[in-house]
Amino acid sequence: MMQDEPTRPAAMRLTRRSTLAAALTAGLPGLARAQSGQVVVGTWGGDYAELLAGHIDRPLLRPQGVEVVQDVGPQDPRKAKLIAERQSRRGSMDVCCLSDIDMYTMAQQGVFEPATDAGVPNLARAIPTLKRDYSVPHIYSAKVILYNPAKVSAPPQGYADLWDPKYRGRVGLVDLLYLQNIESAALAGGGSQSDYEPGKRKLMELRSLDAKVYPSNEALAAGLKSEEVWLTIMWLARGFMWKKAGIPVEHAVPAEGATSICFEMSVPKNARNRDGAMAYLNAALDPRAQTAFADRMGYAPTVTDAVLPPDLARQISLTPEQQARLRAPDYDYIARNQAALVDFWNKEFKR
Amino acid sequence: MAALILPATLLVLLLLVAPLALLLRISLNEYSPTQLMVEALSPANYLRAVADPYYQEVMATTMTVALSCTLLALLLGLAPAYWLARMESRWKSLAMILTLFPLLVGNVVRAAGWMALLGRDGAINAALQGLGLSGEPLTLLYTRGAVIAGILAVVAPYMILTLAAVIEGIPRQVEEAAANLGAGPLTAFRRVVLPLAAPGVAAGCVLVFILCMNAYATPVLLGGPQFKMMAPAVYDQFVKGTNWPFGAALAFLLLAVTLTLTVIGGAMLGRRTR
Repeated sequence: MMQDEPTRPAAMRLTRRSTLAAALTAGLPGLARAQSGQVVVGTWGGDYAELLAGHIDRPLLRPQGVEVVQDVGPQDPRKAKLIAERQSRRGSMDVCCLSDIDMYTMAQQGVFEPATDAGVPNLARAIPTLKRDYSVPHIYSAKVILYNPAKVSAPPQGYADLWDPKYRGRVGLVDLLYLQNIESAALAGGGSQSDYEPGKRKLMELRSLDAKVYPSNEALAAGLKSEEVWLTIMWLARGFMWKKAGIPVEHAVPAEGATSICFEMSVPKNARNRDGAMAYLNAALDPRAQTAFADRMGYAPTVTDAVLPPDLARQISLTPEQQARLRAPDYDYIARNQAALVDFWNKEFKR
Repeated sequence: MAALILPATLLVLLLLVAPLALLLRISLNEYSPTQLMVEALSPANYLRAVADPYYQEVMATTMTVALSCTLLALLLGLAPAYWLARMESRWKSLAMILTLFPLLVGNVVRAAGWMALLGRDGAINAALQGLGLSGEPLTLLYTRGAVIAGILAVVAPYMILTLAAVIEGIPRQVEEAAANLGAGPLTAFRRVVLPLAAPGVAAGCVLVFILCMNAYATPVLLGGPQFKMMAPAVYDQFVKGTNWPFGAALAFLLLAVTLTLTVIGGAMLGRRTR
C-alpha cells in the first residue's frame, strides 16, 4: 500500500558517485566494512532526500567517518525489496524509511532490528506517543481538513461537515490516501480508529454527493487551485506547503480528533553496517536536523528538544489541547483489514 | 551448431523462464495479512480472479482497449505505411525518423503532454471555450477515449514500420500488372498488395496487441483513478496490497489471455488474407 510520500515526487537522483558506490557495494559482497564505513539509506527523493543529505549525511555523519549513500525511490518498491530480501543474509539497505502504517506491516514480518534508547540515545527525547520498538519517528504531521476560505464561509468543525449537501461536488479526495479517507468517514459516521465499517456506508453517501477522486496530490492541488473543489482531507504539512505555494486553503483540526502520520526509519536485520545505521538513526533525531524539515516541508519535529520559531510552530503544530487528542492509527486493525479496505475503495467507492 | 546456441538458450532460460517459474510458484501460495505469504499449492487465487466481477470487468476493459487500439492502428497505419514503403525521394530516411519520433519520448512524458492537452484547463478546453463552442470545460482527461488516444500514439509507429517493411518487399511490378489488367489503385491495393502484405498485417497486429494488453503508464496517467486495466491492477496487488500471490495469479491470467487471443487472432488473420 502506498500511503503517502513526505515530499513531492522528484526525479531519481543518481549521481555518478552514488552509482559507483552502489556498484562497488553490490559487486563486492564479501567486503567487510568497518564500523564507520558506508551506510545505504533507502529513502524518498526530492526535498526529503536533499534535506537528509544537507542536514544529516554531511554535517553529522561524515565527521564520524560514515559515508551515506542514498538509494532513492518510491515507498512501494522499497517495501517490495524488504520482502524479497527478507531471507537474504545481506540486505541492500542499512536504513529504511517508510511511513508509519507500512513500517508496522513490515515490522510484523520481523525484518527490523529493535530500536532502543541504548542503541539510539536521542530516542530518549522523542515524543513518547510516536515511539515504536521497531523504528524511530523522524518527522510527523496530523490529518486535517483543508478548505477554501473564500467558498466555505464557516470553517468546518469536523469531518462530518464534508457531508453537508451545500458542498455537493465540492469535496475532493486523493486516491492514495484511501485508508485515511475511509478512517475519516468512519469517525464521521460513528466508527472509530479500530472500526472502519461505518466509514464504508458514509463514503458511499459522499459518493452520491458527487465527491471527486483525484489520482495524485498534484492533481488534487490543481483542483483546489482552480476552485473545482473546496474541501479535502490532507496532512497539515502538505496544506502548509500548498498555502505557501499560493493555493487558497486554510486548515481545520477535526472535532473528532486528529490522526497522526509519522515517517519513520528502521534498520533491517540484514543490514550490512548495523552500527553505522544506528548512528544514522541517532543523527536523524538531532534537533539541528529536525528543525530543517519543519521549515522546508512543514513536518513537526519528533523530539522534544527541537525548538521551532513561534510563527512556524503556529502554522505546522497543533495546540496543546489538539495535541493531547492526537492519536496514531490503529496499525494492527489496518494490517488485518487492509486488503478488504483496498477492495472496498477500488471496487465499490471508486466504481 | 548446438553448442553455439547453448549460451544464448541458457541466458534466456535464466532471465525469462526462471522468473516466470518463480511467479507461477508464488501464484499458488496463500496471502495472509500478518505473514504476507504462506506456502501452499492452491488454485484459490486463480479461482477468485476469474470469479470476481471486478476483475472480469478489468479484463474486459483491457481487451476492449487493446482490440480498439490494434484496429485503429491498422486502419490509420496502412496509408502512411504504403506511402513510406513506396517513397523514393531522398527524404525517405527523414520520414522514417519522423515516424519513430513518438518513441523517442518516454511514456510518462508523452502522457504528461496529453494531460496538458486534455485537462480541464488544458489546451483543447481553452480553445473550445475561447471560440465560444462550449461553456463548461469538457471532461476529456480520465476517460477511456483519452487512454485509447494515448496508447494509439505509442503503438502507431510499430504498426506503420512493420507494415512498411513488408510492403517494401512486394515488387512494384505486381501493382503495375494489376493496373495493366484494368484494376484501379484501390482495387489493386485491396486485391493484390493487401493479401501479399498479410504476414506484415498479422505481425503488426500481434505486436501492437501485446503492447496494448500490457500498457501501464498510459492507463494510469490518462485513465485516472476510476479506470483500471490489467497491468496497473497487477501492480496494485503487488505493491499496494502486498498480496504477491494474488498479483502473480492476475499476471498469469493476463499472460494466458494475451497469448490465447494472439494465437487465435494471428491464425484468423493468416487464413483470411492468404
